[in-house]
Amino acid sequence: MSVGTAAQSAAGPAGALDAERGAAGAGGLPPGFGVDVAGAALALARRFAHGGTLWCFAPAWPAHAHHVAVEFVHPVVVGTRALPAVAVSAEAGVAGLRTLCRAGDALVVVASSEEPAARRALARAPAWGLTTIWIGAGPRPAPGAADHVLWWEGEVPSQAAHTGRFVLSYHLLWELTHVCFEHPGLLEEPQVCSGPACVTCGDEGRLVEVLRLGEGGAVLVRAATGLEWADASLVEGVSPGSLVLVHAGSVLTVLAEGSGE
Amino acid sequence: MRFVDEYRDPAAARALVRRIATLSNGKRFAFMEVCGGHTHTIYRHGIEHLLPDGVELVHGPGCPVCVIPMGRIDDAIAVAEQPGVLFTTFGDMMRVPGSSGSLLDAKARGADVRFVYSPLDALRLAVDNPGREVVFFAVGFETTAPSTAVTLRRAKAEGVSNFSVFCNHVTIVPPIKAILDSPDLRLDGFLGPGHVSTVIGQRPYRFVAEQYGKPLVTAGFEPLDILQAVEMLLVQCAAGRADVENQYTRCVVEEGNPRALAIMAEVFALRPHFEWRGLGFISQSALRLADAYADFDAERRFAVPGVRVADPKACQCGEVLKGVIKPWQCKVFGTACTPETPIGTCMVSSEGACAAYYNFGRLHREAALSVGARA
Ligand code: SF4
Repeated sequence: MSVGTAAQSAAGPAGALDAERGAAGAGGLPPGFGVDVAGAALALARRFAHGGTLWCFAPAWPAHAHHVAVEFVHPVVVGTRALPAVAVSAEAGVAGLRTLCRAGDALVVVASSEEPAARRALARAPAWGLTTIWIGAGPRPAPGAADHVLWWEGEVPSQAAHTGRFVLSYHLLWELTHVCFEHPGLLEEPQVCSGPACVTCGDEGRLVEVLRLGEGGAVLVRAATGLEWADASLVEGVSPGSLVLVHAGSVLTVLAEGSGE
Repeated sequence: MRFVDEYRDPAAARALVRRIATLSNGKRFAFMEVCGGHTHTIYRHGIEHLLPDGVELVHGPGCPVCVIPMGRIDDAIAVAEQPGVLFTTFGDMMRVPGSSGSLLDAKARGADVRFVYSPLDALRLAVDNPGREVVFFAVGFETTAPSTAVTLRRAKAEGVSNFSVFCNHVTIVPPIKAILDSPDLRLDGFLGPGHVSTVIGQRPYRFVAEQYGKPLVTAGFEPLDILQAVEMLLVQCAAGRADVENQYTRCVVEEGNPRALAIMAEVFALRPHFEWRGLGFISQSALRLADAYADFDAERRFAVPGVRVADPKACQCGEVLKGVIKPWQCKVFGTACTPETPIGTCMVSSEGACAAYYNFGRLHREAALSVGARA
């Protein structure tokens, strides 16, 4: 007998997904793209409908971040509403996003799956309470890297950035978001009956970001529900910016090191 | 860890379900998910309905509230009703029925019973209320026990003398062993608990493969995590292997959390035996406070009845927890026993198999399949 570690590899969801997505997509879009963009647009419309702001981040191609923001802010079609969207510069980066974003906002990132600033921002977004959409090309990000992924696999990211692939992606996202606004019934968040939450019954592990180290092993953390204190005396290497898993007020494990931002 | 649509991608789920169907090849397999969080995900997302007929998920004793015997609830109420006591507990424990009502009923009678999200919150209440005896009702597996241990160490360091713990922490390995030793065993493998394993790691499960020849795959809490773990179990079965594998690599490491294990060893000692609802007494399956922390032990500070109470006659929680029957096969499911009026513990917590099935699982199988096909 051996104790194995199965990476989420070709045999796992990503590999299985490749096979599932093998069917050709409509109108030159990648397979499954229509379903993906519709889901992303609905999630985004719901965020806007509940007062959220869209933050746009494209560290390697800042023009795309500005373009996305302009699309949403500028009501080019008569009768459609202007939606709050702001481009965040590469210089402002993750630190800027951390300061600007509130729980309930949305984040669109235009980047390859290898872009470090994009990965750092998206890894922290759940702890900030954001809905995330990742537009990109080349190797697909790992499952769970963002809530919604609009991807041009098999294309070179630096080329896709200039061939209109990304522009098409966020134009479709913008148009479909407005389609959702034409159907107000869609904008309600689905009420899921989940019963009373009990941290121990659910074996809960909440993803939070460490903001500040306190006294006696305490850390101030940012969770989707707000700021709270947790005890970090059970783990090593916690610093501001670390992503950690909290259960019943204690940090159980460190998922990503802080970058000292 | 996080709920994201990318972990719920229907295309990925369908691809995995097809792999599972191919691997199971029409044969019958039964896998037990030990953790209540997994049970919740399975029912909430209708995963049972997506699996081929021959692949069954059996819901195990991994919800700490579900396995608390009635006598311990009576003991908790006896402590809570003592004058001057401020009794604190996690949410779901409030509604678990003892022989004469729940902690919620005791609260209605005037006892000061409060919800907390962490034992550290209970300690804070003790510091803020020096004239009261603050008691924390500690339940949970190895995920929660370190937090209680940290709290006790802090209470000792700060000399908070009006704080104590009614300790009901249990450990995950002995019930798995008890199930494996059960004569009605009909399991082909286990989905190992996710966050418990962040603390204890993978090594404690080796006996499942080495001594019993059954595979175990530690799994995350998203639908694709569960499906991938089932696929990994079937790959092992198809190859005639029995290994301990880790699907939840983004959170679980082989050795677990050594600091958490060390503080648990300092603060707790194993009880020689402990009663589990439906499973009976299991040796060395629960924790008490170590002698160095005896001053904080509510069972030593207060008189508790300590009487064993038999489950109500109609209750079949034991059979549900062992996977012998499905929740809906219990005679009182959905009639006398509902989440509003629970007879057994499995109907209390939303992670309990009966409550999870009551809340999410009543979708008709064909309807679920057609939804899955369209998604
Ligand atoms: S329906 Fe109620 S009594 Fe029956 S097994 Fe479930 S919780 Fe126990």
